[in-house]
Amino acid sequence: MSAAAFEARLRRIGAERYHHLHPFNLRMHAGRLSREEIQTWVRNRYYYQTRIPIKDGLILSKAADPDFRRGWVRRIRDHDGDAKGSGGLELWLALAEAVGEGRREVESLDDVLPGVRATCDDYVRFVESHDLLESVASSLTELFAGDIMKTRIEAFEKHYPWVDTAGLRYFRSRTQQAPRDAAEGLRFVLEHAVRPEDQDRCAAALERKCEILWRLLDAIEAGHARPRLSPHAQLRDEGGELLVVLPERAVKPSASGREILELCDGERSAVAIAKELRRRHPDVGGLAGDVYEFLASMQRLGVLAAQPIPR
Amino acid sequence: MSAPRPYNLIAELTYRCPLRCAYCSNPVAFRGFPDALGTEDWRRVFREAAALGVVHVGLTGGEPTLRADLTELVGSAAEAGLYTHLVTAGTTLARDGLARLRAAGLRSVQLSVQDAEAAASDAVAGVPAFERKLAFAAWVRAESLPLTLNVVLHRRNLSRVAEIVALARELGVDRLELANAQYYGWALVNRDALLPTRAQLDEAAMAVARARREAPRPEILFVLPDYLAGRPKPCMGGWGRRMLVVTPDGRVLPCHAAASIPGLVFGNVRTDSLAACWAEAPGMNAFRGEAWMPEPCRSCEERARDFGGCRCQAFQLVGDAAATDPACDLAPRHDLIERARRDAQDREPPLVLRG
Repeated sequence: MSAAAFEARLRRIGAERYHHLHPFNLRMHAGRLSREEIQTWVRNRYYYQTRIPIKDGLILSKAADPDFRRGWVRRIRDHDGDAKGSGGLELWLALAEAVGEGRREVESLDDVLPGVRATCDDYVRFVESHDLLESVASSLTELFAGDIMKTRIEAFEKHYPWVDTAGLRYFRSRTQQAPRDAAEGLRFVLEHAVRPEDQDRCAAALERKCEILWRLLDAIEAGHARPRLSPHAQLRDEGGELLVVLPERAVKPSASGREILELCDGERSAVAIAKELRRRHPDVGGLAGDVYEFLASMQRLGVLAAQPIPR
Repeated sequence: MSAPRPYNLIAELTYRCPLRCAYCSNPVAFRGFPDALGTEDWRRVFREAAALGVVHVGLTGGEPTLRADLTELVGSAAEAGLYTHLVTAGTTLARDGLARLRAAGLRSVQLSVQDAEAAASDAVAGVPAFERKLAFAAWVRAESLPLTLNVVLHRRNLSRVAEIVALARELGVDRLELANAQYYGWALVNRDALLPTRAQLDEAAMAVARARREAPRPEILFVLPDYLAGRPKPCMGGWGRRMLVVTPDGRVLPCHAAASIPGLVFGNVRTDSLAACWAEAPGMNAFRGEAWMPEPCRSCEERARDFGGCRCQAFQLVGDAAATDPACDLAPRHDLIERARRDAQDREPPLVLRG
């Protein structure tokens, strides 16, 4: 396939699979996300931001060409800044503050949804275990990032006026950086993927990356499902202990499990439940992760009804 | 020793059944046991079970829907505070009968099918039943009752696990119980015709793993059969530990098959309270706890997991109910299981239907 045809193939992958089409982004850009959903997205997406320089470091470690490294290392500088308090990660924390999140809490990564963590780690592992060409190809989602940033800035200014526009500086910076980075990555891929099998590998890597971004938003949406007790559950208080009786099964949650279940009222989201428990037990570390894991296990056991994802 | 708290009552309301499955867990001599317990007897059993701490009752048989007083029995079990579960073949109850059971307090249903399609399913059941079962499943869904589909697995249907999962999805069931045949009662009579090969099981296990990856629902229960797993099953969660069975004639047993062990004396709710039958009957205490265990069980680290396995199997294969379950590859008589596995490979005897 000629370079031009190959480029068209890569761009078609983005047109069809990039997360600008994900229902969560469509809702974000249409102004239909709640404040809680915006906050969850910002908090969780920070985990993705923290993985990017690690991923770029892995890519650097695969490159033997000084020209390539000189170009690529700029990405790490863009993210981390040349001094503390500058760079893309810092701008993201400013966005977090602008949507009403605490910088320290976001930086702690304590509240990252398990699905978000899994999919971001999956990306780092992908780059770790694939060669330079596929790793660079996987980064080509940047080809489509410039447009989504512009859409996002407009959407925030129009629909979410409660977010201080100073918080949008990350998006603005990316409208400049993403096209430049993407052009550099695209040039490399077009130059090195000439054989059909290499072009196929690159296309597959880009598809995989689109899937990773998609799953990240799936996980954020799942965090907003509102767990409630299964209509088939019968609750028994047995001398202060809770016994949940279900078809062909009974579950005896611990005291802390009971506290979580009592918040599963069909009104609160999983994210809100984790937040409430952190408020009640500020000294317990890693609490949100435990809450999400417990909710997932209760859903598997049928204690909690499977809830539709809000859209 | 003091008796533990039972959680689960298996109420065998009758041994009558229109189906003739070749692996039925009822006694081979089921005709000798009439439905001796009346409506009031069962009402008392449910009340006494709840007082003992039981939370689940499974109304089973035979075919429990053949009891003319089933709606009253469901009502009295629910009234006693038990989570009331119906285990049925689904061929005998009418649509409005199911609605009445739900109104009386029925909480959940388990429906059996014998295979993924009509001809094979009906061949094992011995009567045409498959289409009626599918209709029954739809009624259960329409009543918003949680539904488990139960399929007993054996040599003749193990290769169709994927199709069985597809059927379960089509029927919209909540749980799919893929229960490998357990070899006592009628299944022991038919062991050489039912026992699968290791390769068949491995393939089925892979089909289950694939199905679980495809979608989280239905929940699929699948446990390797003890004949091939190398370790015994934790039969009934331990003898006289979590579950009790009340038979159609009122005997209180630790499992469906315990009466097949000669010399054990069990209580009967026609003459004694359920509490006395559970706590005091010598048969119920015969294999409680660990004191009865021989070596290698007695010093085995896994004894708290499998409770020494199945007493009925030990009796039927070794001739000694207190022997280590021969399904365990540490058992002195594991050779009996190995031989049964080998013998079954070479034979293809016809099924003996329950009759």
